[in-house]
This record gives sequence, structure tokens and C-alpha cells, in this order.
Amino acid sequence: MDWEPKIVAFLCNWCSYAGADLAGVSRFQYPPNIRIIRVPCSGRVSANMILSALRSGADGVLVSGCHPGDCHYISGNLHARRRFSVLKNFLEFLGIEPGRLNFSWVSASEGEQFATVVREVTERVKALGPATRLVKRIEA
Amino acid sequence: MTVKHAELTQEIQRQAKELLASGEVAAFLGFSAGSLPMTTRPFVARTPQEAERLVWNSFCTVNLANYLPALLKSLEPPRGPKDPPPTGPLPKVGVLATGCWSRNIVVQIQENQVDRSRLVILGVPSRGMVDRKKVLAALQGKEVLEAQEDDHSLRLKGKWGETELSRWAVVRDNCQSCRHPNPVLFDRLLDAASERQAQAPFSQIEAIEAMSSDERWQWFQQAFASCIRCYACRNACPLCYCSTCFVDDNRPQWVGKALNAPDVLTFHILRAFHCAGRCTDCGACESVCPMGIKVRLLTQKLSKDILTLFGAEAGMDVSVPPPFTTYAPSDPNPFECDTCSSKGKKG
Amino acid sequence: MPMKIRINDHQLIQWIQGVVTKFQVFYPLQDANSGVVHIQKATDSLNADAILKPVSGVPKTSIKTFFMPQPEVIARFSIAAQDAEAFVLKEPGTALQTQVLLNIRPCDARSVALNSMPYAEDPYFQKMLKRTVIIGRPCDETCSTCFCELVGGSPHGTEGMDLVILKTEDGLALEVLTQKGADFLKQNPCAESAGLQPTLQQQGGQELPIVAREMQKKDLLALYNASFWPQIAEACINCGACTFLCPTCYCFDIQDEVAGTKGVRLRYWDSCMFPLFTLHASGHNPRGQKVQRVRNRFMHKFKYFPDRFGPVSCVGCGRCVKDCPVNIDIREVISLMQAV
Repeated sequence: MDWEPKIVAFLCNWCSYAGADLAGVSRFQYPPNIRIIRVPCSGRVSANMILSALRSGADGVLVSGCHPGDCHYISGNLHARRRFSVLKNFLEFLGIEPGRLNFSWVSASEGEQFATVVREVTERVKALGPATRLVKRIEA
Repeated sequence: MTVKHAELTQEIQRQAKELLASGEVAAFLGFSAGSLPMTTRPFVARTPQEAERLVWNSFCTVNLANYLPALLKSLEPPRGPKDPPPTGPLPKVGVLATGCWSRNIVVQIQENQVDRSRLVILGVPSRGMVDRKKVLAALQGKEVLEAQEDDHSLRLKGKWGETELSRWAVVRDNCQSCRHPNPVLFDRLLDAASERQAQAPFSQIEAIEAMSSDERWQWFQQAFASCIRCYACRNACPLCYCSTCFVDDNRPQWVGKALNAPDVLTFHILRAFHCAGRCTDCGACESVCPMGIKVRLLTQKLSKDILTLFGAEAGMDVSVPPPFTTYAPSDPNPFECDTCSSKGKKG
Repeated sequence: MPMKIRINDHQLIQWIQGVVTKFQVFYPLQDANSGVVHIQKATDSLNADAILKPVSGVPKTSIKTFFMPQPEVIARFSIAAQDAEAFVLKEPGTALQTQVLLNIRPCDARSVALNSMPYAEDPYFQKMLKRTVIIGRPCDETCSTCFCELVGGSPHGTEGMDLVILKTEDGLALEVLTQKGADFLKQNPCAESAGLQPTLQQQGGQELPIVAREMQKKDLLALYNASFWPQIAEACINCGACTFLCPTCYCFDIQDEVAGTKGVRLRYWDSCMFPLFTLHASGHNPRGQKVQRVRNRFMHKFKYFPDRFGPVSCVGCGRCVKDCPVNIDIREVISLMQAV
């Protein structure tokens, strides 16, 4: 199948984004389907932003931050952990396919792990097919 | 009306008159009789004479906490945006509060929307409020011209004749599954505590959780297909007090304003999510929806998860911070991926 | 002399069945579970009972959605960089088919006539009007919340209808009221409809209802500054339920929506109850307070509109009375205004 999913990835600047950078520098291969948006902290990512990505047609969303306890801003990712566990359950409750919304903790030294996470997420989203629920289309 | 409600109406009138006459409160927020059967309207009494219009019955479905911030503000002396806040005690407001409304007041206090010292809360344990839409469905749409409430039944009359319905059968869903009918915060309690226990409080949520992903999507789309974006649900909710709602943001625009399914569904998802951990299931959103949408099913799912995951419930104790303003190191951590070497590390 | 043709039950159903195969037809149906009446699209399996004996009860939503759909695409455009015609607004392009509204109550039909007054030069509304045929049905029963006669309507009124199905001593009869109705009947005949002459409805010149004449005479500022507005507005939660359910509330907003390289200009319903309704680009909001907005809605319907167009902008359907979450009763407001 020729279709390739588009996955929006919100990466926290201090850990996950740096981890992604390390993956690149270390030449760990991972699928090119993710579109990275750098945020200061995973705690900054709000439900509005995730829904906006789904609405714009993202086939999958990944939010990745520092490991709990290692947040550059001390507690941002701890707030995020609460928020995302509830949001993930909520969206799956409403019929968004499990696997569209993904969260992970990747630190700045975990280049290889970042590549693994992206590979797994891409495979998962690819198996689900193109996103159709909640996608805003313009018929013009 | 029922004996209990007649007594409560008398007591509410008596206490409101006393509070207003003594000057302890400048206004008393309650309900007065409505212009239609089975209806009341929110009412602010400002004199002991006006307090004689206060009523209490099974049709008080609007959440009074919704009006508190604006009412309190309206009683302050007028001042410009750059003037310093007034010194000295400000006028107080008396308000009726059932279990859920009192919990909303707790949340409002925690979120700095109302000042506890300016409230005189009259607690009323609730017997559950009647859902007019259920009555209409039971009568297959026939119009009710007169309604009499007894302790356990509703006697209804119309051009078509008369009938009697079981009161509990037409009580609102959220009241039937209520686990906290008694006020948690009050200055005076007007009645003995209710010993009502909820039967299967999250049964409707569990029914949906048992569906497959495709079935759930079908259900969600159909449930909200008749939404007209009137925002009655949002405006009746005491938690929705943002001066600019996310719906009206335009840079970026989170959700479109017209009746497109992705926009309507996104609106409801985000509105419910913004109430997560703060919603007390007062049912006002569902009661005011003109289209009869079961809006509560979204907020109840969130309340269930928050209770299960964090053991937290909105508004039970003013000293316990709301669940999303805090965290615990022992929070569930479902996002470690299996292959990463950090599994087993701290956190 | 208005000509009515007799039509029996069987002929009526046959006629409607024929019309359903050619056009989109909508009629009020009652939901068996909730008891609520909705105007729904007719399918091949017609509910004959609901056609012969119209459901009692005002439909939940009005028929304004057929004239002012929400959203309405009023233009489309491309924003593709290579497109020579980028950013040029184009016609929406969907050809409009005839739509037929059946068993419409007099209040809802009259609302179309009232909305046509401010929308006389609105090309989109007029296009919708031209392609819609309204087949009305006088009301056998009214609800306690109906007050059409107070505002100039009647349970037997026919204003706004193209055709009307009447009850006579010996069954039903069809009467043609407008040229559009006559043309429709010519193309879709029923029973002995050949040669039927329309009784053309008079445009304007009709006697205004008492309430409209009273309101026109009242001093605007006396109404505006009346002391009862804060009390009326106190319970209002500024949702849009009244405005969206009301057949004669017609305000709209326009927004462009873009996805990828395509965009549309949309028109959708707006409500004077929303705080942002009158927000200026400067940040000033002349109706920033709730009492100002609540007052404005009633003043518009019962003073500004009659001053400009004659009748009051209300058909007495009672939807706002039934569905206002806090039971603000427009009938009480009207009497307070009349007493000024």
C-alpha cells in the first residue's frame, strides 16, 4: 500500500527532542513519518493541541517527554502524566481507535530508544489506516 | 406539593427573610415558581418581601452555583479597572446548596471564583430532581397542563386526561446515580441528611466501555448528531467561566463554529475535558440541553477514570487540591515502552 | 373565489409518494421514545398516519434551517500557490434542487414571510426561498405555550404557505395560494388539480396586529430605560437556545475555513446572546453586559423590527418558552413592555 501515515510528534525540548537529535547524529534509522513540534515541556501540551492535530488530519499523535522525576521544570511531566492517562482513556472511550494517540518518555541520552518508539508508533498507526474520525475536511 | 417540600419551602423563606431583614446578606439566591408546569426559575431575592416568592421542589434543576461569581461581583461597589480593590467587608450572598451544588461551591472557592467569607450557604439534602424530558417521554409527547407532586408520585393532567407516574422513575439520571446527596459545605443545614445510596453509579459508562471501538464511534456520533451549538450546556455549567471560551479563540482556532460533525464532536470532547476532575455531576448540562443530548456521559467517564486512577473526586474537601492541579509520584505510569532500557528506573 | 380541490386520504398519500420520488420532502414526525417532534426527511416508507393527521406539538426546531442552512457555503476558493485563480472567490457550485416542506404549521410558515423582510435583498435566502415549496396545515390543537394570535398570526393562518391542506366537512381539500404553488401543482398534479387558479397572497398591506401597532407607538427610550430589564435578565445564562430555536431570529456570522489548499466562506447562525456578538475590533463591546444583551433581544423583536418593517418579529410558536433553561417567559416580557 502506498499510503504513509502522517504522525504529529510533540517533543519536549530538554529530553525527547534532544533524544531525537541524538538518534539522528548516531544514525539510528527510523521511519520519516513523524512531523516534530518542539515544546518546552510535555506538560505544555494541552488537549486542545492534540485534538487540533487530529482535526487537521494527523493519522497519529505522539507526545514524548522526560521520564517522570527528571523534568527540567521539576513537575511538568508529572502533570502531563495525569492529564494524558485520562485523555487517552477518554478518546478511546469515544471511539478514537487505540493506537492513534501515543505517549512516551524518552530522555536526551536515549537516541536508540527514540528510534524504537517512532518505529513502533508508525507501525501501529499504519495498521490502523488513514484517520477518518474527527478529521475536518473542506468540500470546496 | 409534598409535605417535605412544603416544609422546606417555608423554612427557606423564613431563613431568607431573616438573613435579608438583618442585613447579613444583601441578596438571596434560590428559585421561584416558573410559568410552566414542572418548572422553576432561578431567582434573587433582595428584600424580605421578595423572599416570600422562594420555593423548593423537585423541579429545581439549574445549578445555582453558576450565578454566584457574577452575583457577588454585582454587589461590590463599582470601580474602574485600575482602582484598588475595596477595603472592608463586602456584601454577602445567601444561597441554597444541595450535595452537588455545594461541591461546585467548593471548587469555585479553590479556583478563587468566590470568596467563602461572603457566602451564607443553606444546605438542603436533595431527594433528586425530576427530568421533564423523561416525563414527556412517558406521556409520549402529550402536553402537561398541571402537575402535582406527592412524596413518591407525580400526578399529571392535560387535555388528554390524567395520569400518575412514579416519581423516582422520572428523576434525572445523575440524581438516580448520585453518591453525594448531602451538602459538603454549609452554614446551616435545613434538613436531616439523606441516606440515599447510589445504585451502580457508572453503569451507563460501563455499558459504553463494553462496546468495540467502532461501536463507540457510532454511539458518539449519533448521540451528538442533533447538537445545535447553542452552548446551553456550557453556560449552565458553573465550571465554565472563562472570559474567552476556547470556542471563541481564533489564533489558533481550535474548533469551527458551524454544524460540522468534526467540529461539534471536538467541542464536546474539549469542553468535557476542561471540566475533568472538577465536575460534580450536577446534571445541569443535560437538563438544559434543548435537544435532549446525554451530555453527562462524557463528564462521567472522566470522573470515573479520575476516581479509579487517582482516587480523587471534585469538591469533597476544600483543602484537597483538584486532581489536575497536582500530582503524586505514585500516579499510574502507563507510558513506559517495553523495549526501552529505562524500564525499572525511578519514576 | 378561491378554488379548493377535494382530495381524499388515498389521493393525498399517492400524490406525496410521487413527489417524494422526485424531490426532497420534509415533514414533522414524532419520535416514539422521547415524544419529541422533529422535521425529518421523507423516505420511501412514508409514515402515512403522520401525513394524514399531522402530529400534535410544535416541532423542536423551526423550518429556518431550510432557508438558512447551518453552515451555508457562500463561496469557495483555492489558496494553492500555483493556482492562477488563487484567493478569488467563486460560486459554491452546487445546483439547488426543489425541496418540499409538508404539514407545516401556520406559525412556521409565517416566519418565512417575516424573515423575508430583512432578507429581501439577501441573494442566498432568496435562492432558498425560490426553490422551496411550503405545504401548510392549519392547527387542530394548540399548546398552552402557543400565542400566535397575540403577535398577529392564527392557528388557521396561511401566510407564507404556497399550498395548504384544509379540512372540510367531507374530508380534505387542497388550496393553492401562490404562483409558486400553482406551478408546482401543474408539474406534479394530484386528483383533479388541472386548471386550478391560485388565490395569490397579498404582499403587505395587511392589517398589523394590535401588539405591533402598540409597540410602534411607544417611545423607544421609555422601553429601553424601563426598570424591569435587570430583573428579567438576572436568570438568563446567555446560551443561544432561544435564538437558535426561534423561527424569526435570523442573525448570522461569516467565517472562512481553510484546509490544505482549499477554502470555503461559510455563513452560520450567530446569537445576540453570545458576549462576542457585538465585540468590535477595537476591543470595545457596546453590549458587554448580560442585561444589555437580554434587553436588546426583546427590543429588537418587539420594537426595532416593527418600527422598520411593521409586524413584530415573533410568530408565537412558544419554542423559547418551552426550552429556555431558566424559564424566561417571552409572554411575560411582552406584557411588561406593553404596560410601559
